[in-house]
Amino acid sequence: MLEARGISKTYRSGASEVVALQDVDLSVQGGEFVSLVGPSGCGKTTLLRIIDGLTPASGGAIIFDGTPLTGVSREMAFVFQDINLLPWRSVVENVEIGLEGRGIAKDERRQRALETLRLVGLETVATRPPYTLSGGMQQRVGVARALAIQPKVLLMDEPFVHLDNFTRETLQIELAKLWRRLGLTIIFVTHDVDEAIFLSDRIALFRSSPGRITEVATVGLRHPRWEFNVRADPRAIELREHIIDALQVRQSVLV
Amino acid sequence: MTRADRWADRALPAAALVSIVAAWQLSGLFLNPILISTPTAVAAELVDLGRNGQIWLALGASLEEMVIGMAVGLTVGIGLGVLMGRYTIVARVLFPYVNFFNATPLVVIIPLVIIWVGITTQARLLFVFLITLWPVLLNTAAGIRNVDRGYLDVGVAFGLGERDVLRKISLPAATPFILAGVRISAGLAIIGMIVSEMEISFVGLGFLLVSFGNSFETAKLLAVVIVTSLLGVLNVTILKAVQSRWFPWIGGVAGAGH
Repeated sequence: MLEARGISKTYRSGASEVVALQDVDLSVQGGEFVSLVGPSGCGKTTLLRIIDGLTPASGGAIIFDGTPLTGVSREMAFVFQDINLLPWRSVVENVEIGLEGRGIAKDERRQRALETLRLVGLETVATRPPYTLSGGMQQRVGVARALAIQPKVLLMDEPFVHLDNFTRETLQIELAKLWRRLGLTIIFVTHDVDEAIFLSDRIALFRSSPGRITEVATVGLRHPRWEFNVRADPRAIELREHIIDALQVRQSVLV
Repeated sequence: MTRADRWADRALPAAALVSIVAAWQLSGLFLNPILISTPTAVAAELVDLGRNGQIWLALGASLEEMVIGMAVGLTVGIGLGVLMGRYTIVARVLFPYVNFFNATPLVVIIPLVIIWVGITTQARLLFVFLITLWPVLLNTAAGIRNVDRGYLDVGVAFGLGERDVLRKISLPAATPFILAGVRISAGLAIIGMIVSEMEISFVGLGFLLVSFGNSFETAKLLAVVIVTSLLGVLNVTILKAVQSRWFPWIGGVAGAGH
């Protein structure tokens, strides 16, 4: 359904060149949950932005349902790490912004935005300014803003990284439920291996300098995963060890 | 803050005010009233100027110049500032001149303004316009240029066109900068109004100041000074009210630790 073919990205700073991504291939099936995991600076966020069309690639193509994409795709929605809710808009107005971009009439916009807020349990705070909400609620609004345009693909860039552990686990379960209920395809950037195992069907492992995918691991645990203790599952433990080995986390410890 | 602190916060300035006014009043016993007059004399003159209508006439003329000149200055300043912030080419062409005028103490062009349009209301309007234009222009341009990358990403990712990104993202995001510019311009507008009336007019608060000064009527002069100060306070108060009424998020974001 969605395919990255030979994606590369080179940044030029003065005379030197930095290769952020080198010849990256990734293919994602409809309804699949795929995580991109790797160390900081390995290009996983860059790949996500290239898939959405926010950042142009230096080479390669993004193919969506057989068609190469140019510019920002209307079938995909982005959830930002820093959320970036617009403080001069109320919560519901923030959720409406993607609908404004699609030229939908005012009444319908408001109605769809409120429905989406109900989906993430926030219809009661619709008229509040976003900065009065907790971090977890703000990111729920970020998810609602993305879901409001009814995308086929949700691109999520470390959406829970700034949240405390309890809130993060709550939102992980909520996301897993939404994913199943709405039949979404999700590409999810994280550097939290446990988070990736809990949520994903497959996990693409990145290495840096130059950024590339070294392996795509299949998780193979049954869904729904909030019904059992994933962290204690022997296959999850084994996979976790494998991923940590593959990412060479221990080799990069300096002291 | 303890209760004692809060009490001291109110009581000490009040005590200072009372002592200074009392000392001023007492100074009238042995100083020539032409030098600094006394609070009671100033208050009496203020009431008198109000009754015979002189102060209202002057205030009307002054406010008209200030409000119209500033309104045009802010509109043109914000408009040009948006263009400069958005289009690098406009910024490259205009920036040296804008900086030049912003750095010049514009009082120096008053003789030129008189040569252009004579001793008229238009001359004073033109001067208030010229003095308010630059700070708001520079601040708007800086605000548009420094919009948070993350906000712009939201606009692009959610399919807003270029014009909508400017209207719905960049402009609102730049309002803290723009309002800071407006505050500076509003302060300059009062100065511009008074100075232009002192130099090019037979009306307004500035003209009253000069004529009472020239005739050594110190109590009347100080009464007009007080009215002018109150005008400045009013200016600041209105701007604060505008910000908290229409842009409450500016304080809110800083307070919420985004």
